[in-house]
Amino acid sequence: MITIEFNEVKQSFYGRHIFGPLTAQLKGGQITAVTGANGSGKSTFLKLAGHLLRPAQGTVTVKTESGELTQAALRQHLAMVTPELRFYDRLTARENMAFFLGLRGLSLTEAAYRKILDRVELPASAVDHVYTGEFSTGMRQRLKMAVLLACQADIWLLDEPGANLDEAGRAMVAREVQAAAAQNVLVALATNDPGEEALAHACIALAGN
Amino acid sequence: MHASLWQGIKLVFGKEFTLGLRFKAAWSTMFMFALTTLACVSLALQGAPLEPELAAALLWIILFFAAMAGADRGFADEDTAGTLLTLQIYGSAQTVLWGKMLYTCFLLVCLTFFIVPLFLLLLGAEVAAGGVLAGTLLLGDVGIAAAGTLIAALTTGAQVKSGLFSVLMLPVILPVFLPAIFLTAGTLGSGQLPVHYLLGMALYDGVLLAAASVLFDYLWYED
Amino acid sequence: MGALLGILTLLTIGLVFFVVPPAEGLGYYVRLAFLHIPVAWVAVLAFLISAYEGARFLRSGELVADAKSAAAAQLGFIFVILATVSGAVFSKLTWGAYWNWDPRQTTIFVLLLIYGAYLTLRGAMPAGRRRAKVAAVYALFSFLTVPFLVFIIPRLYFSLHPSPVLNGSGLAMDTIMLAVLMAALADVTGIFYWLFRRQTKRLLAEGENL
Repeated sequence: MITIEFNEVKQSFYGRHIFGPLTAQLKGGQITAVTGANGSGKSTFLKLAGHLLRPAQGTVTVKTESGELTQAALRQHLAMVTPELRFYDRLTARENMAFFLGLRGLSLTEAAYRKILDRVELPASAVDHVYTGEFSTGMRQRLKMAVLLACQADIWLLDEPGANLDEAGRAMVAREVQAAAAQNVLVALATNDPGEEALAHACIALAGN
Repeated sequence: MHASLWQGIKLVFGKEFTLGLRFKAAWSTMFMFALTTLACVSLALQGAPLEPELAAALLWIILFFAAMAGADRGFADEDTAGTLLTLQIYGSAQTVLWGKMLYTCFLLVCLTFFIVPLFLLLLGAEVAAGGVLAGTLLLGDVGIAAAGTLIAALTTGAQVKSGLFSVLMLPVILPVFLPAIFLTAGTLGSGQLPVHYLLGMALYDGVLLAAASVLFDYLWYED
Repeated sequence: MGALLGILTLLTIGLVFFVVPPAEGLGYYVRLAFLHIPVAWVAVLAFLISAYEGARFLRSGELVADAKSAAAAQLGFIFVILATVSGAVFSKLTWGAYWNWDPRQTTIFVLLLIYGAYLTLRGAMPAGRRRAKVAAVYALFSFLTVPFLVFIIPRLYFSLHPSPVLNGSGLAMDTIMLAVLMAALADVTGIFYWLFRRQTKRLLAEGENL
């Protein structure tokens, strides 16, 4: 089982204190909600958890039974949905997925691709020949979910995954998040949405300043 | 592991190539820049003969600055488009670096194929040793691609974009640049043709590639 | 330490002006060498320190190493300018031209370009860990040119410059001159070290205020 441990982590940007000192543990199979007002450092928390950012003080350790994960080995376990994540505007959904999954050494058969699109409720007929640059924000969010589902990662870092989605979309996110946790995936969910918060087994509230 | 590294490099190269075909501005700027500079030089000379040393220097200046106009966007474009984070999450450092390096090198070789024949034609220069010239150009392109890809990654977060890239590139690429000019002058008939410089260039290219590979890990990973 | 350096500096200047005999072919112009050689040495030394501290930053992630690397480069830039200018004047006095792309001039000029590029890069980045990392990577990457500057350039160009003084084959130096040169080297290195420590402290204090 995978765990992420925050040990006395303090974070600041250009002298502005963001949060901490924070000690917390996130576990595989658990959905951990990260809540707090705007600017309290929820997105920063997720980046720290994925080692995409180095804490100003303290340590963040990602561990499996076989030891600590860092660098490339850690990235192999990681999948993320955040508002700042983008796909190549001039590639189609299929090409984007083939590229990013290919980097993880996964190749997607046509059938598997259709199935994933079904799960995130993107109509294949509408996206097959369209560059993702022409997608609506909701469709983009669904495509991010599609890559997340397909890449078989066991750490999910989700930053407001329901943002820009309609009700059916938010229900899909809730369903997939719960299904993933049941499969021992570690889910960190930064959110201010009470519905998403209700999914969580544990909650880390960031106080801000 | 090695097979998957190569697969990844091919994927990154393929992605760059596809995007290049669909969005032509990056490489067409580079080609047009080279063409414009060459036209300028040729027009200014009005057919006056050019010393081999001068011709060689001109050719490399055109190639260097055209490369600067095209190769500096490799990471900055991904950064502004927001795809850099996605690439960081899904791609490993070495696949991204080598894939991008390969693509830059490919672009530069295409540029060389395009501009060198035109250059020789317009300036009426005679090539004495074609093989040596080809080798020099290839090694020069490899060096610029190796240093250029790493430095493009360095300048990603910089607040000043234009110019900074060339400023950072020049000192690092001089060890490729100077022998390349000497050799090119030689093939254009300056009298000496120190072929063993090719070995030095290849050696330095190797050093640049190895160093870029080692240092890029530090840029790509935060832990 | 400042006072001690002040005394040593005065002493060295005294030695240079009153003890050193005019050199053969150079006359009293040789006095300039006691400025030129030490500043050139420090310019190279600062480059080594900057790259070394850059490597240390990449290994440990401590911002102290970054401040040291930056301080060395900032001072190195000043010293390399001094070395270039004093070298050009020396060149004018002895060979009649300020600049002739002699290998040593080329080397020092490339060093000047590297320092300039490094400082421009730092200036173009917002302060923080990312800048520290990028600067360290560039310091190390540009360090690759050193073997080229030292071994290849002298073969590419014909040189009038005396060989490095310390191996004894170049400028004919008698014992007095050598001793004075050693004093000057120690003095200028000391000044560099003193400034380096102060600048590091200043940069660290600035970093904390960010």
